Amino acid sequence: MSLDIRPVVSSLLRNRTGAVLVAFQIAIALAVLVNAVFIVHQRIEKMSRPTRIDDQNLFGVRTAEFTNRFNYDASVHEDLAYLRGLPDVVSASVSNSVPLGISGSATTVWTQPDNKGERAQINYFAMDEQGLNTLGVRLIAGRGFRAEEILPPVTPTNTADFVPQLIVTQAVAEVLFPHQNALGKTVYDSWGKPSTITGIIDNMIGTGWSGYEALDHVAIMPRMPRMYGFDYLVRTKPGRRDAIMRTVEEHLSTSNPDRVIQYVRSVEYFKKLLYRDDRNMGVFLITVTALLLAVASLGIFGLATFNVSARTKQIGTRRAVGARRADIVRYFMVENGLITTAGIVVGCALALAIGYWLSLQYQLPRLDLYYLVGGVLALWLIGQLAAWQPARKASAVSPSVATRTV
Amino acid sequence: MYAYYMRLALKSFRRNPGLTALMLGAIALGIAVCIMTMTVYHAMSGNPIWWKNDRLYAVTMDNWDPSRPEDRQHPDLPPPQLTYKDAVYLLGSHIPERKVVMYARQSVLTGGVAQRKPLPVTTRVTTSDFFAMFDVPFLYGSGWDAGGDQNATPVIVLSKQQNEKLFGGINSVGRTIRWDDREFRVVGVLDAWSPTPRFYDLNDGAFSTPDDVYIPFGWTRPLDQYPNGGSTDCWKPETVNTFADFLGSDCVWTQMWVELPNKASRERMQGLMDGYWAEQRKAGRFPRPRNNRLTNVGQWLKDQGVVQNDNRMLVGIAFAFLAVCLLNTVGILLAKFLNAAAIAGVRRALGASRRQIFIQHLIEVGMLAAAGAVLGLGFGALGLWGVHALYVTKNEVDTVDVANLTGGYQQLTHFDAISVFWAVMLAMVSALAAGLYPAWRIGRVAPAVYLKSQ
Repeated sequence: MSLDIRPVVSSLLRNRTGAVLVAFQIAIALAVLVNAVFIVHQRIEKMSRPTRIDDQNLFGVRTAEFTNRFNYDASVHEDLAYLRGLPDVVSASVSNSVPLGISGSATTVWTQPDNKGERAQINYFAMDEQGLNTLGVRLIAGRGFRAEEILPPVTPTNTADFVPQLIVTQAVAEVLFPHQNALGKTVYDSWGKPSTITGIIDNMIGTGWSGYEALDHVAIMPRMPRMYGFDYLVRTKPGRRDAIMRTVEEHLSTSNPDRVIQYVRSVEYFKKLLYRDDRNMGVFLITVTALLLAVASLGIFGLATFNVSARTKQIGTRRAVGARRADIVRYFMVENGLITTAGIVVGCALALAIGYWLSLQYQLPRLDLYYLVGGVLALWLIGQLAAWQPARKASAVSPSVATRTV
Repeated sequence: MYAYYMRLALKSFRRNPGLTALMLGAIALGIAVCIMTMTVYHAMSGNPIWWKNDRLYAVTMDNWDPSRPEDRQHPDLPPPQLTYKDAVYLLGSHIPERKVVMYARQSVLTGGVAQRKPLPVTTRVTTSDFFAMFDVPFLYGSGWDAGGDQNATPVIVLSKQQNEKLFGGINSVGRTIRWDDREFRVVGVLDAWSPTPRFYDLNDGAFSTPDDVYIPFGWTRPLDQYPNGGSTDCWKPETVNTFADFLGSDCVWTQMWVELPNKASRERMQGLMDGYWAEQRKAGRFPRPRNNRLTNVGQWLKDQGVVQNDNRMLVGIAFAFLAVCLLNTVGILLAKFLNAAAIAGVRRALGASRRQIFIQHLIEVGMLAAAGAVLGLGFGALGLWGVHALYVTKNEVDTVDVANLTGGYQQLTHFDAISVFWAVMLAMVSALAAGLYPAWRIGRVAPAVYLKSQ
């Protein structure tokens, strides 16, 4: 079967403008589609990183003391007893910050005193003995903290104090002690004070600092938090979180006149906040790309429709001298195929150029060629689909048209 | 004549309603997407105090670790904040016309007549020039005098929003209120003020809302409390056993801005910083190479990465989208005009000049463009509403204003005048450009061909 490309080409060359316009639309659409899908895919991958904590059933309560009458020890004791006594609460702990939240603390540890050896920046959570269970993070080696190991909070007179034990994520352990078992090893803070690694946990995501060097460089310290404010972290049974949040808010906001509850917020909420820009970028890219494809396919459809109506008489003549309906359909599909292919060739170059430029400009990974292949196939298909209806309409032109004058 | 051309254009629209709608839709969508992205971009990159761009400068000095910069991604930048001791030293200078040293705190207000429960708020602890320097509008009263820069004067300025919560919006100047259980006298209430991005302190994000209340910087020492808001960043292992030790440490946690009216004062300020730096370096501080900066607001926003790469990409994509829409329009216009070439041919034969045919068709395009711009603004408004909805993150229990976290995104609910202007310009220019070639082509039609009966 011959596709009879010669007459299609020579007719196209006579009426270039419309075809060139459509080809350019296809080229731009391809370039945008490929790069947009590539970027969206990266964002989805980023958003679906596991947090490795029980993020669906966790919430934080931020409290703020504001009078001199506030008694920290009594208040924390009372609040924790209340929270742990609630039905459907799995566990609760104090913490200096809420995981995936926007505020938190970090410090630097070394494998040798005097700031020598391997170095790791750790985002730390100061928690009590229920800390690990509250987070729901998996303990890989060692053990959690015991109640008697939890130190009192740092006060202005001992800010430089370190903790004698530390639980770190696997990622931290690997940075500090590559190819060794970090359990039981000693690390030092910037003042040279030692601490023993007594537990290694899964690579949980710590504070949601999007620009932080490694979100899973996290450590847990056996210490009560206070100096920069503190939170209660509460882990509930599945499905009970929101109801318990409401109860807790109501109770704690009136139970102690010397402090207020700044917020009661779920970790899921902070997670949404952390990925908000990525999600929005994805939504925006998908919307614009879809609209762009729609406009481009309407353009293809419009040109084909115009070509058909402008050539009604010629189609009739071809039909009258023996062309079958299928030949007419094929003519228009081949014409569309040629235009689309030309657009795709230009579009591939454009897509690669943009991808390259983006990777240079914004330190993105280089465009994966699979995306280009997928984009080419998609646009070819869209082109043929858009031309299908006008081509069918063309084949319905009656041979008798050839005999009429107008 | 033009009225006649307009009537002809309307007739032509009616002849192919489908094609007309397609063109209109394409132009409107292209405009809408461009305007949306540009509004967002504008809101993020806009300099909210542009009229002082050659007067306001952020003061930064690199006091960081000799072995690594504060921000590894921007190793050439000094830390965005100053140590307390450096800020207080520079505050003593009389070179700047105005000078501000400040930081944010979390605190609690009680004793408002309209507010029963204690109210958690963010407080800006700042020197007195803050209000005049950043052109902050007052509804009632004013700020405090320079005495508050050194002394713990118990005066407080409330934002409009907090005044509404605490006092039901009345003129509360002269009333007292308890701030962290200390008695303060209200001296001023601000009018609505929300610079976006919040250039003067980017710690809580560029789109965060301004602070709730303001108290004098002289309170810093007597409060004897570590900062519990904003950001505190330390690099040096120092012995800190008292709050006074902390104030003398190399931790950065205060923001400093100065107003320098001319080049001479800028040079003198730079000289003062460099001289102080050299002196301190002799005493063993400032181990990194000299990097003392006075940065204007525009450059500050760039340095601090306020405009995200995403926003730039989106503007690029929006213009690619507009290009496709316009190519589409050119194609359809060309087809449409050539389809109706017979009419143009007859008009030519009856004496219309090429120019007149050209102008007639251009007017048709112009009308299309105008309609496209109006429709585009409508679509754009819908789109912005969608963008705004995307940025609101709902919380399960609304203990505090969730609006706090949406902050400056509120600004995205409406177009500013500049965006509307650009929308109309963009629509007209681009649609007319798209119509130029088809209108020219149709003007070249040889009339004789169309006078035959065929």
